[in-house]
Amino acid sequence: MSHIKLKNLVKRFKDTEVLSGIDLDVPEGSTLVLFGPSGAGKTVLLRCIAGAVEQDDGEVRIGGEDVTDVLPEHRGIGMAFQNFALFPHMDAFDNIASPLTACGKTADQIRAGVDTVARLLKIDHVLTHTPKALSNGQKQRTALARALVSHPKVLLLDDPLRNVDAKLRFEMRLELPRLLADQGATVIYVTQDYREAMALGDRIAVLDGGRIIQNGTPEEIYRRPATINIAKLFGDPTINLLDVVPQSDASGVYATLSDCRIQLDPGLSGNVGRECMLGLRPEALSFTTANEGVPVTIEAETPFNEKAVTLVTTLRKREILVSRPAETPAPASGTAHITIDPRDAVLFDRQTGVRLDPNGTSHAAEKAA
Amino acid sequence: MDHRSPLERVLRALALTAIVVFFMFPIFWIVLMSLQTNETILRSPPSMSFVPTLKNYAAIISGELDSNAGSMSIHFMNNLLNSVLLSVFSVALALLLGVPAAYAFARHKFRGSEDIAFTLLSFRFAPPLLVLLPLTLYFQALGLANTYLGLVWVYQLICLPLILWIVRGYFEDISPDIEHAYRIAGHGWFATFRKIALPLAGPGIAAAGLLAFIFAWNNFIFALVLASADKQPVTVGALAFVTASGIQYGQIAAAIVMSIAPTLLLALWAQRYLVEGLSLGAVKG
Amino acid sequence: MSAQADMPVLRRSSRLSRTLLPYLLSLPALLVCIGILVPFVTAIYYSLQRYRMSQPWNRGMNWGENYLNFFTDSSFWNTLQVSLVYAGLTVGIELVLGLAIALLLQRRSRVNNFVSIMLLMPLMTAPALAALMFKLMTNPNFGILSYFMQLAGFQDFRWASSPDTALLTVILVDVWVYTPFIMILLLAGLRSLPTQPFEAAALDGVPRFEQFWRITLPMLSPYILTAALFRLLDSIQQFDIIYAMTQGGPGNRLMVFQVEAYLNFFQSTNVGRSAALLLILWAITYALSNVFVKNWLRLRERAKGGA
Repeated sequence: MSHIKLKNLVKRFKDTEVLSGIDLDVPEGSTLVLFGPSGAGKTVLLRCIAGAVEQDDGEVRIGGEDVTDVLPEHRGIGMAFQNFALFPHMDAFDNIASPLTACGKTADQIRAGVDTVARLLKIDHVLTHTPKALSNGQKQRTALARALVSHPKVLLLDDPLRNVDAKLRFEMRLELPRLLADQGATVIYVTQDYREAMALGDRIAVLDGGRIIQNGTPEEIYRRPATINIAKLFGDPTINLLDVVPQSDASGVYATLSDCRIQLDPGLSGNVGRECMLGLRPEALSFTTANEGVPVTIEAETPFNEKAVTLVTTLRKREILVSRPAETPAPASGTAHITIDPRDAVLFDRQTGVRLDPNGTSHAAEKAA
Repeated sequence: MDHRSPLERVLRALALTAIVVFFMFPIFWIVLMSLQTNETILRSPPSMSFVPTLKNYAAIISGELDSNAGSMSIHFMNNLLNSVLLSVFSVALALLLGVPAAYAFARHKFRGSEDIAFTLLSFRFAPPLLVLLPLTLYFQALGLANTYLGLVWVYQLICLPLILWIVRGYFEDISPDIEHAYRIAGHGWFATFRKIALPLAGPGIAAAGLLAFIFAWNNFIFALVLASADKQPVTVGALAFVTASGIQYGQIAAAIVMSIAPTLLLALWAQRYLVEGLSLGAVKG
Repeated sequence: MSAQADMPVLRRSSRLSRTLLPYLLSLPALLVCIGILVPFVTAIYYSLQRYRMSQPWNRGMNWGENYLNFFTDSSFWNTLQVSLVYAGLTVGIELVLGLAIALLLQRRSRVNNFVSIMLLMPLMTAPALAALMFKLMTNPNFGILSYFMQLAGFQDFRWASSPDTALLTVILVDVWVYTPFIMILLLAGLRSLPTQPFEAAALDGVPRFEQFWRITLPMLSPYILTAALFRLLDSIQQFDIIYAMTQGGPGNRLMVFQVEAYLNFFQSTNVGRSAALLLILWAITYALSNVFVKNWLRLRERAKGGA
């Protein structure tokens, strides 16, 4: 019914291709997060789906129907813009009511509809204000209310938390998943914040340079990022990346770090001798009291609320970040040893930046998924 | 900048006074003349002491003018009415044609849009007689000669480029997202144009209309070429007035004052937008 | 697959109607354009004809003869000269005066704002009516300007009626009307200039005169150029002031292009010559307007960026 499907979507501005063949499938009622750096084409993609921008090639299907020839006002979509795009000459009430007036609701129905959503988003006390008189957070909620008020089957949210302050962003990040789940709509949510992406998405599609580089569950994106870039974008502190050259012997494939073996998946045997990068999530590393593991020197520790991050250096002065839950014991200074869970190690081709899949199929399988 | 020497202050004040005198004196003097009888006007040396009279205005309004050859009837009020009709309808038509076109040019970069916009702009700079002279012959053939309709059409030469280019700038200043948001909310393009684009560009449209009115009112050449006495606006009418022999000078002055007063008052009202309008949107005031 | 009961059928619109919309919106304006382009083409046609309304039997194509005749036609060279002198002098004087006044009014203050509003008044006066005002003021019997001249020792200063001073008189009117135009454009330009270079120069102790030459003038130059070209385009076509003042006289002292063409058409009914004259004027303005539009577009972009 409101299943969104994009097939080979292409959009050009003058001679530059901003979307080059996007395929995407968002099952009804699920939330897809479009993640990517600015200029990746996220906003244009959203606009193509909404009909505000016409694609040059390919098709957009909503509920199984090709909507290429359907004008934006007939697509039944709710959309919130990054810059809010509130109507400056109307008060908050009229802004929120605008989707309802379009479908010929009575004044009572409109009032009831606006009041409900305004209460839900806690802006019922500012409905008579014009956008100019609203705080940024109130603007953002008004824009969201306008998108939600007519209970659209498809919701497009273009980085709605981008322009609000950190505190509000934190609150909304907690609130939004419930809100979106209650709506039951198919949601496409654009963001540049990996935490938002992880918190909200049933799936995440990573967009860069007008192409989808990886499309998977948050878990997949985090644990098996398709490229070094994606690995770097997700996670805080960022993933440790170490130059290695995998080797093999009778006991399997391994890489060495400070003369210590890090056992790698035997499926990676095809990459022996290749210049690689080993990606190690800081939380996949842990200190050990035993004398096994990689010897390191503790350089500095930064405590956060929920975790502590320690900067250590190896014998060859390579820097590594180690993260652990707060209040867990760890050596404060001097030398220590860290152990690595080999299942959490990811290997990338240093040249192409692409992840090397243990089964030798690289990441193509995931991309198609 | 605040450390000005006393000498500089004095020089500045003198220069400002000279400027105001130079630019305001003619208007001031014509107003004074319009309040005098022929006798006080013709005094030598000229003097500013006289008993003001509104007789000149009364004569203009009644249409019965005194001249040294007795009384004659010249309907200057008719010229004034023509000016009002021509300016109002020209601006109305230019808004009707120009605002949608400005919207199209601002929002859709369609093929040929820039060419059309620049062609319209070039009308502003082409010698008007180049078009007007052949047009007199066409107008006779089409039955448009000496009609309000024909004049209003030709007045588009001044009004349309002005409105098109100023209003286009205002439409371009509206974020396209705001219009997209209204479309996606379920409204058609026309509702979006009416409820979003028009109100948001409203001040600009009003200013452009006002300026177009002023320029239409001040136009001389179009009506001189294309209109005969009963359709002539004040600019042409006043000229005929001066050349008609023997009319009292005070009455001429009164006619001029009545002709320039509307645009001066409108200009005071619209001064915030004048810079933008005069430069066709190139410079913001 | 097909639309289900609770799903409204999607309303489709053809791609064609969407592409056509902007054309439809601009079509009325376009038609007016065409209505004006037709007489333009006609004018070209006339300019290639032997065509006097008083001798309809003698009408026929003579191709470039109207233009060729200009080479040996002293009144044409007079027209060209008067037009260029008029345009050059008015724009030159107005630029210098306008810039000076704009510099004087640069700082925002109540007095300065009042003065700049007062200066709008001449600009909003119809040029034809302004000419009439000056005609009254230069009347030899009671004109206040004639009286001033007398006080200054010029007996019998005849203003527009004398070939010696006619040009001066119409230039005076033009300067009175249009100096404010240049002034307000340059004032807006001055006020939009960034302040940092001036602050830096003041800190370095650069004298103000040098600041003007080295900073103000170069930064203001796009505005000056646009204002000057704008005025030049209008001034070379001046009709209202000259026609209302002297109809090109005395003699042919003020016979600028448009006045000459107007009289050719309506008095000597020489349509062919009139059209050829106007086309030469058009060629001049067309060349100027191309330069103008480039500058104007640049300023327009800047104004939008700054807003």
